Amino acid sequence: MKGSKYLPIIPVYIGYLVLFLIARGMPGMWQLMAMLVFYCAVGQAFNIFFGMTGYVNFGYVAFLALGVYGMALAIHYFHQFSWLGLGIVIIGLLLAMVMAGLLSLVVGAVALRLGGAYFAIATIGVNEGFRYLIEGAKIWGGSEGIIFSKQMTEAFGREMANRLSTLWADISVLLIAAVAALITLYFIKGKIGYALMALREDEGAAKVMGINVTKYKLIAFVTSALLAGLIGAMAWGLKLTYVFPPEVFDISYTVEAIVIVMLGGAGTLLGPVVGGLLYGLAKYWLTVILPGFQLLIFAPIIIVIVVAFPEGVVGVLKRRVKGTALEPFIL
Amino acid sequence: MIWNQLAGNLTQGLILGGVYGMATMGLSLIFGVLRVVNVGHGAFVMVGAFVAFWLFTALGLTPIAAIPAALVVGMALGFLFFYSVMRRLVGAPELTSLLATFAMGIILEEVVKLIFGTEYRGYNWDVGRVDLSVTVLPWAKIYAFLGSVAIAVLLYLWFNKTRAGTAVRSVVEDSEGARVCGVNVGWIYALSFAIGIGLTVASGVLLTMFIPVGINPYMGGPYTLKAFVIAVLGGLASPYGAFFGGLIFGLIENGSYTLFALLPGAEPFALTRFLSFAILLLILLLKPTGLLGAKE
Amino acid sequence: MVSVFLILGLISLGGMVYAGAPAKVIIGHPACLSGKYAKAGEQALGGIKACVKWVNEVYGGVKIGGKKVPLEYKYYDCESKKEVVTSLIERLITVDKVNVVFAPYSSGLTLSGAPVAEKYGMLYMDHGGASDRIFQQGFKYIVQTIGPGTRYHVGTLDMIHKVDPKAKRVALAYEDSEFARMVMRGAEEHAKKLGFKIVFKRTYPKGVTDLTPLLSDLKAAKPDFILGGGHFEDGQLFNRQMADLDINVKALSLIAAATLPAFYEALGNLAEGVMGPSHWEYGVKYSPEVARKEGLKWIGPTQDEFVKLFKEALGKDIMPDYHAAEAGAQVLAYVLAVEEANSIDPTKVRAALNTLKFMSFYGGWDVNETGKQVGHSMVDMQWQGGKRVIVWPPEAATGKLYYPMPTFAEKAKGKVAVPK
Repeated sequence: MKGSKYLPIIPVYIGYLVLFLIARGMPGMWQLMAMLVFYCAVGQAFNIFFGMTGYVNFGYVAFLALGVYGMALAIHYFHQFSWLGLGIVIIGLLLAMVMAGLLSLVVGAVALRLGGAYFAIATIGVNEGFRYLIEGAKIWGGSEGIIFSKQMTEAFGREMANRLSTLWADISVLLIAAVAALITLYFIKGKIGYALMALREDEGAAKVMGINVTKYKLIAFVTSALLAGLIGAMAWGLKLTYVFPPEVFDISYTVEAIVIVMLGGAGTLLGPVVGGLLYGLAKYWLTVILPGFQLLIFAPIIIVIVVAFPEGVVGVLKRRVKGTALEPFIL
Repeated sequence: MIWNQLAGNLTQGLILGGVYGMATMGLSLIFGVLRVVNVGHGAFVMVGAFVAFWLFTALGLTPIAAIPAALVVGMALGFLFFYSVMRRLVGAPELTSLLATFAMGIILEEVVKLIFGTEYRGYNWDVGRVDLSVTVLPWAKIYAFLGSVAIAVLLYLWFNKTRAGTAVRSVVEDSEGARVCGVNVGWIYALSFAIGIGLTVASGVLLTMFIPVGINPYMGGPYTLKAFVIAVLGGLASPYGAFFGGLIFGLIENGSYTLFALLPGAEPFALTRFLSFAILLLILLLKPTGLLGAKE
Repeated sequence: MVSVFLILGLISLGGMVYAGAPAKVIIGHPACLSGKYAKAGEQALGGIKACVKWVNEVYGGVKIGGKKVPLEYKYYDCESKKEVVTSLIERLITVDKVNVVFAPYSSGLTLSGAPVAEKYGMLYMDHGGASDRIFQQGFKYIVQTIGPGTRYHVGTLDMIHKVDPKAKRVALAYEDSEFARMVMRGAEEHAKKLGFKIVFKRTYPKGVTDLTPLLSDLKAAKPDFILGGGHFEDGQLFNRQMADLDINVKALSLIAAATLPAFYEALGNLAEGVMGPSHWEYGVKYSPEVARKEGLKWIGPTQDEFVKLFKEALGKDIMPDYHAAEAGAQVLAYVLAVEEANSIDPTKVRAALNTLKFMSFYGGWDVNETGKQVGHSMVDMQWQGGKRVIVWPPEAATGKLYYPMPTFAEKAKGKVAVPK
């Protein structure tokens, strides 16, 4: 059955729908949902590359950062043309994708030829290097960043600007997460998934078999980056209305992405969703009941996962549902 | 006049580079033997800084005395982490050990925060300074440099003249072969890890001889990044490469500052950092095994 | 018949007024208890708790609708992270039903929470975001208690201009961050106005580990005095490396770092004579008498009472610094405004804050229409003999300025900056 290929997307979409309904229905849940969806979206975008290839891109947050800059620059330069209306937001998204995409092509071309640890180090280099370039050459506002709240008000009117920041930005992130899930599924079940799985097992053998390993790695890498750019433009740009380089180039976001994906199950479809929800909720409750101790609790948990459950929650789940009716739904 | 400033900066850079290099030797050793990248590197440097701080302010011991103390503390920590966590990860993909070391770094930071608080600490060990015409060097910095060199030399001797050191080298060459020859590979892993961590913690003491203020639980971050650049510069698996890589890094970091400052409207510090990462990428592109790297 | 209606009318009117008095007033705060702003966050927490306690136990509560109502304080840990800030603020507003939100520390985080506060029409009080840009964005509900960045070094320049008109060469060396750049901008403008010559103007990145290259270049410019700084660690580094390079100037003023006790602890004698502008230092002479003299309302604990309440609130024997004081003053401002408006409705309280002018242990308080703080003046303090002495402005001074600063060689021999 051709349709059954897409069955696994159902649990994901059900999850997102439930989240959305709870957020709209219960008072005060919207921002929490926004935070959870952010984590799920980042997880899914990150998973497309990391989950499928096993390579860690420690500079991942740079793509999110470029996404914000794309949106910020669009609003900054076009806000006086208020006849463009919401077209400015579209320009921002396009700019975000172009910038993140360009960086990923450049980085990918260079770093993807390296293996394992070198790749990780090279990507840290990119992240930090880019940030210092912005601050050092004082481009795009340098270290002062850009605050574009007022410009949003001028471009869209106060009401709309506020709605964009507190409602539509978050809905967009949810949509991006949904799209990312679909792309992930498509990759996993398609040629790319096959090639990357072969690569993960044994890169050398895959090459010998004639699989164009670099091409597929690059496709996954760039896709992951494009999605990150979109997320950054919406969740950080439109929602928070400002960008400060040290905040957006913060390596801890990359680390969170890694934790989310590993917790949920790297390389799985449902993994990042589960991981994002678990991580976001855990973080939220910890700040409420035990403020100040989050890191001290999370760090050992990372170690436990890494040592004892490297396949993550969904990985374990997949094993459990093997042979049951649920199997085609859990990927 | 510019030449004076340049010369002064280069001198300072060389001295600081020695400390950086020594700090990175531990990282390279651990990678060379265990193929593990210690992403929590900076946190261990921080521990060393606190050892120096505490010994000076609570017990009145000079930093020179703190060096062996830090080595011992570091090795103890290293053994602890190895036997509790790292041992189980020996065969695992690289990512898992990356995450484990990262998490260890965080745990260290939080524990130190619980003990010492988030205040920025410092101590004042004044032993005078030397006035070279191009710059002024406090004796403490010079001692730090000499200490780094001394430790590097000791490490060299240990590797080449002792049985344990030779065993480590054999494991790096060929762990299966070494096992067949009767080397207790598991013990060598533990020892190398412990020594690597010990070196890193000791470097924290030397660092405070250079910069005795601003000591706080979260100070390690920038040093982790610098260490990566230096390690790659010198060859990720080579401890001596790391030392020389550090010297080069220090020279570039400080020397380029004067040159960048000549550019109007630029922010020289950020540009020197950009330069160091650009170099990192270039080396990875052209010669990933590093400028002085050994066979990979 | 008419009298019945009249009586019913009066009763319902009374009921409405009575219904208008809430059971309690709640302050909400996504505080920075961990992460990079943990230190400032902890101080703010102590300051707020101290003043809330004072309001409840000494002041008797907030007076609304003829009743005295208790003040409550609900806070969470935002981990110094912007995405956590937004979700916590919403929780505070919708679940905990707070009546005002205190912004988290730092300009960036204050900004990140502003849209959410605006959406709910919630009063948003800023005690830790000094960037002027926040108030140029057109937010309607934000009010500032901390002084804006551009004013930090203005008083210092006035002081040096008065004390040593011949010292014309000034070097500016600030951290490259939002807040410090504001200070630098204000300093540069004011310096030019007073006729100073700026011989060196540079920034250094946040988290710098070695300032030697910058300081070497600065030394070559031969300034008479230096203005600079950023946050905590770079201030210590600056002073220390000046000593290492034997750079001697007549005066050195560093923002943020120099005013904190940890500065002297870390540097010892090397910090003698170093100055720093501050919103508040223990020892300022603000008191009910001073308030009366200036024709201002006075509210709040005295300085010593505040210190005592602060230590109790945190359960630690540490002194409050200006983060604590400004957060505490914010509580007082809010209470006064609520009483003035006789309501907890954010729009009414915001309007009341516009016209509010008062003095507390923290100093003066007055905001302009955009919410920016204009009534609070900075003081300059100097380390003299291991103690912090307020040397400027004359109205707040507790001692004389020691000028010029001893050289590092003299300091190494134990010289202290205590005027005779």
